[in-house]
Amino acid sequence: MKKNNKNILHKLILQTIGHEKRQQYMIPIFTIVLSLIFGLIVIALLGSNPFKAYYNLLQGSGLAPKASYAGHKGIITDFTSFLNALTPMLFAALAVLIALKAGLFNIGVSGQMLAAGFTATILIGYSDLPAVVAKPLTVLIGFIVGALAGALVGWLKHRFNINEVVSTIMFNYIFQYVISFLINTFYVDPVSRQSKNVGAAGRLTLVDMVIGDYKMDIPLGILLAAVGIAVTAFLLNKTILGFEIKAVGSSIRAAEYAGIRVGRTRVLAMMLSGGFAGLAGVTYYMGYFASIQPKVLVSTGYDAIAVALLGNSSPIGIIFSSFLITVISKGSTYMNSASGVQAEIASAITGIILLFSACGAYVRYKVDRWKDEQKQTGRLASDGRAAK
Amino acid sequence: MNTIIIDGLSFALPLFIMAIGGIYCERSGITNLAIEGLQGFGAFCGALFAVCIAQYFAGNSPIPFYLAMLFAFLGGMLFSLLHAMLCIKFKANQVISGVVINILAMALTEFMTKQINASIFGAASNKFVLGVSARLTVPVLSRIPVLGAVFTNLYPFEIVIAVIAVIAWYVLYKTRFGLHLRACGDNPHAVDAAGIEVSRVRLVAVMASGALSGLGGICFAYSISANFSSNIYSGYGYLAIAALIFGNWKIMPTLGACLLFGFARSGGYELVKVLEMPSSYQDLVMVLPYVLTLLMLIFFSKKNHSPKALGEIYDKGAR
Repeated sequence: MKKNNKNILHKLILQTIGHEKRQQYMIPIFTIVLSLIFGLIVIALLGSNPFKAYYNLLQGSGLAPKASYAGHKGIITDFTSFLNALTPMLFAALAVLIALKAGLFNIGVSGQMLAAGFTATILIGYSDLPAVVAKPLTVLIGFIVGALAGALVGWLKHRFNINEVVSTIMFNYIFQYVISFLINTFYVDPVSRQSKNVGAAGRLTLVDMVIGDYKMDIPLGILLAAVGIAVTAFLLNKTILGFEIKAVGSSIRAAEYAGIRVGRTRVLAMMLSGGFAGLAGVTYYMGYFASIQPKVLVSTGYDAIAVALLGNSSPIGIIFSSFLITVISKGSTYMNSASGVQAEIASAITGIILLFSACGAYVRYKVDRWKDEQKQTGRLASDGRAAK
Repeated sequence: MNTIIIDGLSFALPLFIMAIGGIYCERSGITNLAIEGLQGFGAFCGALFAVCIAQYFAGNSPIPFYLAMLFAFLGGMLFSLLHAMLCIKFKANQVISGVVINILAMALTEFMTKQINASIFGAASNKFVLGVSARLTVPVLSRIPVLGAVFTNLYPFEIVIAVIAVIAWYVLYKTRFGLHLRACGDNPHAVDAAGIEVSRVRLVAVMASGALSGLGGICFAYSISANFSSNIYSGYGYLAIAALIFGNWKIMPTLGACLLFGFARSGGYELVKVLEMPSSYQDLVMVLPYVLTLLMLIFFSKKNHSPKALGEIYDKGAR
């Protein structure tokens, strides 16, 4: 009887995530649903209404109307602010994704963001350039600094066989402390204890634009992010470099036999990855925010790992996954004030999502096994009928 | 000079015990990037227990500290089961699993610290205050010139760590189990053929790693930061990994690497103090261990040999 029950469960799971083409998005959805249920239980145990808390997340992200708004504020201002937070996340996820495709693991996105954001801040943010020149320069400097930082990691891996995970972590700390020292010594704002605010000309977000009755922040970077996603998708699917990156990521030995220069491809992939991280940096420190807090690495770089894994490391997939993760993190502040749930639960839920998505490969393997089993029992049953 | 040795040792030894855990794990063939998360979670468990029982003891009683060490040990072991499950049972990518554990540990402990503070102790705080553990000086040995500093102003945990390190060294190199463990990292198929279950040996290795990491974490919480907060995640676990790679996955050279990190750090702080530089220069000193690590990896990575089967998922059927 027990075995029968198990079979029914297998059948149910097979029907939902058994189909190979559907697996691509059914497994992430499974992951998300499981994690959200986990969050639901925790919030309920803490004595708050979990459905209200989740609705608060949507309200805080401008996806559902709040009960009341301050002057010049509305659901649309919340939404543009949400897009403002989404932009760096998209770039950071692209950075993780490109490295992953080449079989590399870039956990240094946060550090590369900081390095690029800081360089752009002191070179462009504190200059008097007109907006027309300053904005493109900010983007350019962000990309170049990030790309250099990424390429260095790739080169260390290629030349000295230093594991990129260890070296990116070391660079994270080095950037964090050196930049904190520079800010505290030269660029600190004595009141806020952060770096001095950058000028509006170089900033990638138009702040307090008056449109109709609302004052809103318009992130220009979101357009750039859309271009970035399209370029990445094109690069990976339609170009030789993209093919080489994927080949190196699948099997280094096979790629070598095929005549692909593994070292060069890896350095290039890390360079692109770093470049996107740099763009995430400038859209974060000179867009979403206008200053840098010393001694703090933003969590975006780490959340981006969750986003990339959850999005099945596909450029289209990460649009959805970064949307979800940003809703959770951006809405958590409002959830805290409206429902009294600690905002930190947002990152806990993100962590759980990450944990479940790490099991994705196992789920796929297990489902395939069940499918084979079912085929066999099905065959046995039909054989039995034929024999009768 | 004395302060450099005293502070250097109190930083190097917790690092060393975490690195030993890492050696156990990696010599058994499981990549362990999760040390950072394991030490944080272990320290969280220990700190939570210490805070809960603190009211039953006098303010200067050392008992909560020893119990905290025990619970950090157990907490780290418990959390490492997650890494073991992902790597051994679920056959997940071990690097990804390690990173996932780190992020999860950070998020969970931060959330739980705040939640427990708010709902049980009724305070809006994101840390458990522990205080610094008492220090002791060994009577006769501390009189020896220069080397005497080693026995001066010791944290009690340094003695505990030294004892555990000796045991760990003995188990890894002188016992049957240690032999099996090292064989699992180099040739798991041979171990399997000899009738020993690879996954069980690896499970024990991962758990040992978690337990020792937790121990290291609570030592940092009781010395450097004097509390448990998200500050505990400032890269000690990664430094331990760097130390064990630099130490070529062997216990004695790893001790050398840890001591080097410790003395570089305490020496740097001393320099800032002696030269009377502003405190923001401490940030530059903090960079030292990381830069050293990178440089050493550049010089030594060619000579180093990682365990042959490190990071490979053990598949009985594969040839």
